Amino acid sequence: MSGNLLHRQPILRRPDGVGGALPALTLITLFFVVPVVALLLRSVTEPVPGLQNYATLFGDGTYARVFLNTFLVATVVTAVTVIVAFPVAWMLAIMPPALGSIVFGIIILSMWTNLLTRTYAWMVLLQRTGVINRTLMDIGLISQPLPLINNLTGVTIGMVYIMLPFMILPLVGTLRAIDPMTLRAAALCGASPFDAFRRILLPLSLPGIAAGGLMVFVMSLGYFVTPTLLGGTSNMMLAAMIAQMIQSLLNWGLGSAAAFILLLVTMALYALQLRLVGAKRMTGGI
Amino acid sequence: MTEPFLSIRDLRKAFGSFVAVHDVTIDIPKGQFLTFLGPSGSGKSTTLYAIAGFQHPTSGDVLLEGRSLLPVPSHKRNIGMVFQRYTLFQHLTVAENVAFPLRVRRRPDAEVNRKVAEMLSLVRLESFGGRYPGALSGGQQQRVALARALAYDPPILLMDEPLSALDKKLREEIQAEIRRIHRETGVTILYVTHDQDEALHLSDRIALFRDGRIEQIGSGEDLYLRPASEFVASFIGNSNFLPAEHLETVRGSATIRLADGTVVSGVRNDREFSHGQKTRLMVRPEAFRLRPGTATAGLAVEFIDTAFFGERRRVIARTAAGQEIDVRPTSDMAQAQEGIAVRGQQIFFDPAAAFLFPA
Repeated sequence: MSGNLLHRQPILRRPDGVGGALPALTLITLFFVVPVVALLLRSVTEPVPGLQNYATLFGDGTYARVFLNTFLVATVVTAVTVIVAFPVAWMLAIMPPALGSIVFGIIILSMWTNLLTRTYAWMVLLQRTGVINRTLMDIGLISQPLPLINNLTGVTIGMVYIMLPFMILPLVGTLRAIDPMTLRAAALCGASPFDAFRRILLPLSLPGIAAGGLMVFVMSLGYFVTPTLLGGTSNMMLAAMIAQMIQSLLNWGLGSAAAFILLLVTMALYALQLRLVGAKRMTGGI
Repeated sequence: MTEPFLSIRDLRKAFGSFVAVHDVTIDIPKGQFLTFLGPSGSGKSTTLYAIAGFQHPTSGDVLLEGRSLLPVPSHKRNIGMVFQRYTLFQHLTVAENVAFPLRVRRRPDAEVNRKVAEMLSLVRLESFGGRYPGALSGGQQQRVALARALAYDPPILLMDEPLSALDKKLREEIQAEIRRIHRETGVTILYVTHDQDEALHLSDRIALFRDGRIEQIGSGEDLYLRPASEFVASFIGNSNFLPAEHLETVRGSATIRLADGTVVSGVRNDREFSHGQKTRLMVRPEAFRLRPGTATAGLAVEFIDTAFFGERRRVIARTAAGQEIDVRPTSDMAQAQEGIAVRGQQIFFDPAAAFLFPA
């Protein structure tokens, strides 16, 4: 009986060696490797061969400020997203499944709504005479409108809102895998709710925070629409700068160099995270 | 009168219209090993959770040395607990897990280290301090959980079916460990299980739960030898129930007639039955004999099957009325041999070791 089973040919055979991966490899080469190499080449050949584009980017204080601002925004957005997403994810993780899927649906729905629409909606809400400022003034909490738009605050609010699902989804997965009994055990061990959170829940949810955090951080680094509409001219981000270099200044060399730096930073961050958290845990294999 | 150490008073827990625990009252002296035994859904875990503070009772009280535990949140109750599932903190080493309750109590490092070493040696895992829970077997994880639960010298240790996820051999091994640890530490233990062997093996006293009520509370011997109800008799150990007609009871000694017409007298009985009332006679399998002794009643049977289990032999016999009964005579070889030889004969039991229950 079992002998028969052992000798039977498997219906689906795994393709051996590199041969089977050929279609995928071709696709990646064609649509990813070639453009990236072209980008790299442009950055070191235009207008003349050499590293002058990189020298300009690193040497000029204006560009350095844009880089710095980009990282500042991405860091703030990531941090705020984690803080806002954690309670939501925890609620989703412990909610009855039926209710949970409704809340999940609402979160996903917001992801599917047009990005521009959502960003313009925030412009309406955040402006000097917008709903938020008017309400706060009406109830007498403030006498002058708060500067909520065309600055870091506006960018942060708008981007956190857009990034939340990307943080919540991996976090819910990690939190659901934590047995609630573990927290009861911590309570009986004498851990106050705060201690249980700090010493047990937070460390156990770190892989989810890292996975979501990386995603949010990397996406924020290259974000264009929201920072452009909700931020001011004084805190331009990298993507806007690249667009300006290529569209308005037609400086392809400089734009390519900036884009290539962004790509390198992103890949370096990913590598760092793989080292810290471990590839297995990132993909949910634990 | 001295105050009982731990006292559960009229504890009641209702979930909507469903009452999980009906007014349970138990007093537990210090150092006792008390087991809540019962089928699943009988309210034993709910009672334990009320003591742990995971569930707030609908009414009633839990008193520790006379003070109510109910207003105290779980993390301030100072109670140890080992759970059914593995609840070790996966991101901490074994030593850090055991140290956890001491760390949250802000105990000095020297004391923490001393206590962790002491606890790991208590559960015989001295060399495992640096490992992570994921690298341990289920049995080892539960021993670490035990060490963690005892690290802060709690007056009470709760155990919620801690061995149910382990295989039989490991279960017996850890049962022995738990008994030893109970002896060595003198901690008061409340233990929940649905396994009667585990309950009999471990406990000083057993509270048998049924449908949210305590059916009987007493030592294992009490429950086995003096079951208060047919439920207790059938839950603890194996039993044969033979339909019987009650004829009369004189001074706790009843005379009955079995289905095949056999009249048996001398059955122990303290219930009120009328003449001719239908009752059930309970006889433990090991109370049967293959040879008549003193004061034994005979029962005509046909032997159907016999199996040898080393320490004892199991015989399936059928009464004249067609009921199959389980017979486990102590494995006296001569008797066993004889058992096979006397096919189609009689088996015997001492009426004083049989019980009469309402039908």
